Parts: sequence; structure tokens; C-alpha cells
Amino acid sequence: MAPELLLDSNIRLWVVLPIVFITFLVGVIRHYVSILLQSDKKLTLEQVSDSQVLIRSRILRENGKYIPKQSFLMRKFYFNNQEDGFFKKTKRKVVPPSPMTDPSMLTDMMKGNVTNVLPMILIGGWINWTFSGFVTTKVPFPLTLRFKPMLQQGIELLSLDASWVSSASWYFLNVFGLRSMYSLILGQDNGADQSRIMQEQMSGAAMAMPADTNKAFKAEWEALELTDHQWALESIEEELMSKELDLSGMFSRELPTGIF
Amino acid sequence: MATVSELYDVTWEEMRDKLRKWREENYRNSEQIVDVGEELINEHASKLGDDVWIIYEQVMIAALDCSRDDLAWTCLQELKRQFPDSHRVKRLAGMRLEALERYEDANKLYDSILQDDATNTAARKRKIAILKAQGKNTEAIRELNEYLEQFVGDQEAWHELSELYINEHDYAKAAFCLEELMMTNPHNHLYCEQYAEVKYTQGGLDNLELSRKYFAQALKLNNRNMRALFGLYMSASHIAASPKVSAKVKKDNVKYAAWAGAQINRAYQLAGRGTKENKCSVKAVEEMLESMQITMS
Repeated sequence: MAPELLLDSNIRLWVVLPIVFITFLVGVIRHYVSILLQSDKKLTLEQVSDSQVLIRSRILRENGKYIPKQSFLMRKFYFNNQEDGFFKKTKRKVVPPSPMTDPSMLTDMMKGNVTNVLPMILIGGWINWTFSGFVTTKVPFPLTLRFKPMLQQGIELLSLDASWVSSASWYFLNVFGLRSMYSLILGQDNGADQSRIMQEQMSGAAMAMPADTNKAFKAEWEALELTDHQWALESIEEELMSKELDLSGMFSRELPTGIF
Repeated sequence: MATVSELYDVTWEEMRDKLRKWREENYRNSEQIVDVGEELINEHASKLGDDVWIIYEQVMIAALDCSRDDLAWTCLQELKRQFPDSHRVKRLAGMRLEALERYEDANKLYDSILQDDATNTAARKRKIAILKAQGKNTEAIRELNEYLEQFVGDQEAWHELSELYINEHDYAKAAFCLEELMMTNPHNHLYCEQYAEVKYTQGGLDNLELSRKYFAQALKLNNRNMRALFGLYMSASHIAASPKVSAKVKKDNVKYAAWAGAQINRAYQLAGRGTKENKCSVKAVEEMLESMQITMS
């Protein structure tokens, strides 16, 4: 049974709360700085055009049943024809944007690093230096001795339970814990949300966007090949005339007069 | 002259909300917008905050419609002062030049926007509008086709193209444009009705059948569309009267026409309930239906 230490209440007042405030304010400042440094994304004409073509093909698949069969076949032929259908004929030049060749990506990466990683390191180091030499708080679950050098930076006590941590680890706990507070105050898509950014960085390296266009075209071609035309208006007259028209509300007595 | 707020006894917040409603629902009641907006700008500009800029834009376009060049100029000056390098403001300046019929200058302005940003759809559409204003319909159609090749999803443009084709009596191509619109807006009864009308105008048995079906679809989407009801009656009677149809088709179409006629009568009864003129108008409708009924033998 670990001995229960009684911490000076001054620690709570002068260490725990200030670290929370500092973390929170730094996060808010980071959010506004990232907004200021945001660069405009310039889309090329080709990208816009391609995305719209894909949307049109999707709409043709989903809502093709509202137009006559002949029109549907005409459009399907335009897209999927063996020799000169749009999806067969168009090949886009694919250049994966590596950071070296694409200058805008390089500056984006740099900005990302400056606004996120750098402050975290700086502030973490400063807190470690300022609030060193004492125990800050206790994590509620037991930890093995392996964690001691990591979490008890300035404390040189061999016998101290690993659950008692220093202020640096309290700072890191705050960085991740205040995420939900940021969503509450700054709205969903905020620049202070570090863990989300790190997740994005990890998944972004795996995707390559422009190769998508050719693949997207191929996927659409396949999907369109499989689509058939089921005319929604086959028996529309019977459906319509099965009952009387609902003319209620057509001739209401009140007419809107004037602007208001 | 009494101000709008005095005439209708409304506060400036209500006027601002009304302008927002008109903006979001794309109304084109320019005179009303000018009346309400002018007062809002002159009296309450400071209270509007950041809303004032979009109101300036809305009022300016309405002022151009009503030939209020003075008001349009003031709005443009304010916007230029606040957003000096904006493409959106440049487009408004171009629209003012168009209103003054200085088409060359307007074209130059739009070309400069496009040089800067090739994906700017507003500038391209204004150039096509200039061609239309100058009466060069064929060039406008060609330019609009090129535009649509790149921006296939622009529904406003498809509708405009269908209108241009109808003016040139090229009904087949107009039908193509309307099909695009029907696909993207399957629940809009007005597109179905317009498509049916184009098909009816094209003529020929297949097209008449299609038009009858699409009139029925428009009615199904909106039971109170009187134009579609009359269209259904006309197309059904036309098919029934045609000599080339089989007996079964004729019988079906006679049934459809009879149903449509009954609904029309019902609607007119409902319209004039309680008034003395009712009997006369209902009788007029019945006679009209009888005379429209092309003899079927």
C-alpha cells in the first residue's frame, strides 16, 4: 500500500491551476495565430471541372430514372463509350505533391510545425524549469517503476511511487485534456486541437490526392456500367388518377398585401 | 414621402430580416428592395454592423434594375472603399457599366478578373449576359456551351441555356438542358412541367406521350399546378385524336383527358365558391373544354 502523501495546498493554488490556465491560453493563442497564417488554397480549373463531372455522373446513376430511357442511354454512352467515352479517354497527369517540389506544401508544413510543435516544446521546457523539484499531483491508477524517469523529472526520490508525477507531466496531461474545452469555446474546427492535427499528419502521409482523379474516373466508369434504367414514370398516370387531386389551400381568401 | 418604417410600422430589425429573407430566397422584387434597403442604409447603417456590406451589394443590384444610378454609385463607392481588391466588387462595377451600356469597358473589366483567377464563374457568366443583352444569341449559346463543358454542375447556367435554345426554337437541345435540371432536382415540379411543354411543342406521337407523362409527374409532385393539369388534358386529347394510334391507346387517352377535364371543373368550382359570377365562369370553362376537345372518330 503506497504511503499517502499530504501535499501542501499551496501547490494546488500556485502550480496546478496556473498550469491549466497557461495551457488553455496558449491553445487559444495558437488557434488565432493559425487563422492568421492560413494560406489560400488555389484550385485549378481542371480540378474544379473534374469534381463537377464526377458529381454529374453520380447524379446520372442515382436520378437517371427520372429522365426518358433514350436520354439516359445517350448520357451513359457519352461517359462510357469504348473508344471516346469521357471516362475512358481522359487521363489526368498525376504529380504526387512531395514537399521538395511543391513550395506551397513546404511552407504549409513549416507553418504547421511552428504553430504546434514548437510552442509545445518551449512551454513544456519552461514549465519543467519553473515548477521543478516538487510533486504536483497523483495519477489515479498505479504505474510501474519504468515510468518514473519520464514522469518525475525533477524529483530524485527512489522510493517514491510512480503515480506521483511532476508538473511537466501535468502540463502534457492538460494539453490533451483541454481538447474538449477548445471545441466548446472555439467551435469544432479549431487550430488549437493538437492531437487531431497529429492524427491528420499521420494519415495525410498515407494518402496521395491527385492520383485519386484517375482512380475516381475508373470507379465511376465501373459504377455507371452497372447502372440500368428503371423509368420512374412507367405507370405514372394510373398512380396519379387513382385519387382526386388535392386542391386544398389553393384559393385561400387572404392575399398578402405590401411588403410586410 | 413617408418612409417604409412609417408606412408599415416596422423596426429596422424587421427590415433587415426581410432583406435577408429576400436575399436567401433569391427574390427579384427590385423596387421593394430599393425602398427598404435605401432607408436602412441611410438611417441605420451604423447599427447593422458587418451585415451592411452584403446589404450594399443587394441594394446595388436592385438599384441597377430600377435605373437608380445615384444609389448604385453610392453603394459601389462604399464597397470599393472597404474591399479595394475584391473580385466580387469588381464584378459589381462591371454590372454598373453594363447598365450604362458601356459593354466594351465591362468586357475589359471581366477579362481582367479572369486573368487573375481563371475559375471565377461570376465574371464568365456576366460576359455571356453581355452577349445576350447585345442580342447576339448564337454567340451567347456558344459561349455558354463552352462554359458548361467546364462547369457541368452549374444549374443556373443549364436553365439559362435551355431558355436561349427555346428562343432559337431548338427544342431538342432545350429538352436536353431541362433533363439535366430534372436529374439534379427530381422533386421540382416546375422543371417537369417546362420539359413537358417543350416536348409538347416538338410534336410527334412519341413526344406527345412523353409530355403527357411528364405533365402527370408535375401534377404528382404538386397537385395544384393548373398549367400541368391543362397540359395533361391537351396532350391526352391530342393523342386520342391522332389517326395513327391503336384503339387501346385511344381509349386510355380518352380516359385520361376525361379525368383531367373533371379535375379542371372541380378546381374552377372551388375557385368561385360563394360568388355570383361563379356560375358563369364555370360554364365558360366547360364550354372551353368542349371546344378544345378535338373530335375523335
